[in-house]
Amino acid sequence: MQIRDYIIRRLLVLPVLIIGTSIIVFALTRIGGSPIGIYLSHEMNPAEVQEMKERFHLDKPVPVQYFYWIKGVTQGDLGWSGVASAPVVDVFPKKFAATMELAIAAGIVAVSLGIALGTFAGARRNKLADHIIRVVSVGGASMPLFWFAILLLIIFWVWLGWFPIGRSDPNLFEAIAHPTGFYTIDALLAGNFAAFRDAIWHLIMPAVALGYGATAIIARMMRSSLIEELQEDYVDAAKAKGLAERVVLKKHARRNALIPTVTVIGLTFGFLLQGTVVAEIIFRWPGLGRWMASAVLRGDQATIMTYVMFTSILFLIVNLVVDIIYANLDRRVVLGE
Amino acid sequence: MRNLIIITQTILLGVFLAVGAQAQTVKNPGILVHAADDEATTLDPAQVEAGEGGETVILQVYDRLLEFGPSGPELVPGLASVVPTIDNGMISDDGMTYTFKIREGVVFHDGTDLTAEDVKFSWDRIVDMDLPEGQSGVIADIVSDSKVIDDYTFQVTLLEPSASFLNSTVVSMAASIVSQDAVMANGGVVEGEPNQYMAQNVAGTGPYKLKAWNRGENILLDINENYWGENAKLAARIEIGAEPDVRVLGLRAGNYDTIETDPSFVADIEGADGVTLHTGGLLLEPIHVGFNLNIPEGSLPKEDTIPTDFFHDPRVRQAFNYAFDYDAFLYGPLAGFGQFNPHYLPIGIFGHDADAPVYGAQDKAKAEALFRDAGYWDKGFSVSVITEESNLFADAALVLKDSMEALNPNFRINVLAVAEAVFDEAHAQNPIEYAMWVKNADPFADPHPYMSAYQHPDGEWGEVHGFSNGYRNPEKIAELIDGASIELDVEKRAAMYAELQRLLFDDPMWLITAQEGVTMAYRSWVKGFEMNPLWPRPSLRFVYLDK
Repeated sequence: MQIRDYIIRRLLVLPVLIIGTSIIVFALTRIGGSPIGIYLSHEMNPAEVQEMKERFHLDKPVPVQYFYWIKGVTQGDLGWSGVASAPVVDVFPKKFAATMELAIAAGIVAVSLGIALGTFAGARRNKLADHIIRVVSVGGASMPLFWFAILLLIIFWVWLGWFPIGRSDPNLFEAIAHPTGFYTIDALLAGNFAAFRDAIWHLIMPAVALGYGATAIIARMMRSSLIEELQEDYVDAAKAKGLAERVVLKKHARRNALIPTVTVIGLTFGFLLQGTVVAEIIFRWPGLGRWMASAVLRGDQATIMTYVMFTSILFLIVNLVVDIIYANLDRRVVLGE
Repeated sequence: MRNLIIITQTILLGVFLAVGAQAQTVKNPGILVHAADDEATTLDPAQVEAGEGGETVILQVYDRLLEFGPSGPELVPGLASVVPTIDNGMISDDGMTYTFKIREGVVFHDGTDLTAEDVKFSWDRIVDMDLPEGQSGVIADIVSDSKVIDDYTFQVTLLEPSASFLNSTVVSMAASIVSQDAVMANGGVVEGEPNQYMAQNVAGTGPYKLKAWNRGENILLDINENYWGENAKLAARIEIGAEPDVRVLGLRAGNYDTIETDPSFVADIEGADGVTLHTGGLLLEPIHVGFNLNIPEGSLPKEDTIPTDFFHDPRVRQAFNYAFDYDAFLYGPLAGFGQFNPHYLPIGIFGHDADAPVYGAQDKAKAEALFRDAGYWDKGFSVSVITEESNLFADAALVLKDSMEALNPNFRINVLAVAEAVFDEAHAQNPIEYAMWVKNADPFADPHPYMSAYQHPDGEWGEVHGFSNGYRNPEKIAELIDGASIELDVEKRAAMYAELQRLLFDDPMWLITAQEGVTMAYRSWVKGFEMNPLWPRPSLRFVYLDK
């Protein structure tokens, strides 16, 4: 099958898969009970509850509720978030951008520090620096995120007052437009250096807290890979040619050691996204993780549905892209069979 | 090693200098930073629920015709320039008609002028929208008619004389005055449908204007420079949703000026440098165990062995009241901040009779005698109590469990601590499929809503909970509650509530665990701190504060 035909076929199947997924997700959330509770207060009487059910079509049978929901989705209405007190469609992009910004910042911390520390330690095997970095790495891998985050909070927010919590200085945040939802990028686009500095300042503590665990994993991987590479014959050959130690390390051994490390880096991004829930709660970061945790605890089904559908669709698309890339990379892969 | 010691010493010195310096320096000058517990669900007075986070904001950004002053239940003029009385002729002799002189020269945040038309529009709007989550009954249940006499005179006629009209209806957040122009330009008034614009924006005359509402993060309030009264000294920022521990840390660090807390955090705050703990006063939201006298057959959890008419017997309800370990609740979860007040009119509310009998102390002997008398002592029972998880209500349920199971090993109390949404849905059923629940009541400034909503046999909740099945004399209780609501003679009215308290002591429909004490912590640099439990939680009007 031609790759073009394969893509068309997969794209045609995609809506069917999405609708199927939506039916399953909708049914599963409803199995947990009616979502009406999130819209109620404990002083509402039965007549008022009935009115609320009618407003959200929750007085109808579940298949009819699904129809109303899917109709709303096609019109850009993802429902009302009881946790955020706003339409889901208004809140979701902002929260998603906030979480991605934090995860990417934590990723930058983890990758830059992890590779640097791993290289430094690997090149100085069994010396003091190596021991210290190994201890720091073990600490990062074994220290619970919530504990490390609270430690940072107490030292740098409460005691020293060096770093703020939350995402922004509200006055600076309100002073610029937010076309991308990424505060750092929006600040740069607006040419507002004070807002950019504010964005970075607010990112540091949660990004370090979140990135530390991943730093440890990357550093340990980098160290062990580098040590292996440094024992290879080509390193001896390079040294015998008269290349400087630094050149051998940077141009040859580190480059090869990065190959398995990069695989680990890819995997740690998932770890970082998971960790955002804890980091967001402790540092009051207004992202998807904190919102979703509240939504799950309080039964905010409109929010949960949106999140699950979003990740499902993302997964379907990524799968499609990966299949196509595989086919391009390895012609032995037979499309559509 | 020497270098390491020098570096360590430098860091520690820096820490101590920084901590010392921050304790003395006012942080966030010009802005009051308040760390709140809840997110608002709406900013629309026609939609807001009593006691909900939105009322905190509505109090600051809207005005009402009258307000509670800072130091107690006395009424002070708001958008009405005079408090109506019979003496000044603004309440008719029969108590049916109230006239309000509207303050002239008041401008809404949208720039339009306030007139009596806006006042009538605001009150009519709530009744016309009649939202289930709102408080339309605050006006609809008491007002027969309202009219505009002239641009600055508004007149209200009641359905019947009311002793509580001024201090429960007029001051209610639901009765806040909105700009007619702003509402009509943004969705207007539709019966049964919330106004999305008003839910997320503000169209008031209050001392603060809404600058921004960042969901789950903060609400920013700017000073209204055109306010008709004395301008606020500080802008305000309400930080939303910080964990309780983070709020305490933020206060100690000076990053927050005021925080919402409960007594369980007092130990973390007491004695902190630069922090003042305000513990005067009592909240007006009795935490109580409710008894269900309207249990449908076969609806109780399978662990429950009680008959459906279990609580019809006043001896059983009394026995529960005697069995509860009030000390354990007051000195445990409430950390001693509160009062033994197992009564239906909280301390501080008109009509509360300090001499009326109260349960107040555990009396195991009386509890045993009553359970024996009712026939449950030897055979025992198992009953479930539903409550929200992880709060004082759950603590009260656990104290009940400990009290009852320690009293008699044949008694079993199953505490069902569930998510708030699950509890709200369960409690909103009619009939309720649980025999007991723990929650608090809404706060009111007048005794009538406490009695009519919660204790009247035919009231909003009395009917759902089947109180007429259990009162020894339901007609007498109904007669007293109804009579007290229209009795304008203060002494006679107080006597009626005193009699009601005695009747309800003999015939309890609740087990009131305690009256929770006010605990509010703020930075000592905050000046003009005034707290009134009659204002919506956290009972602060930012306009009075400075630093």
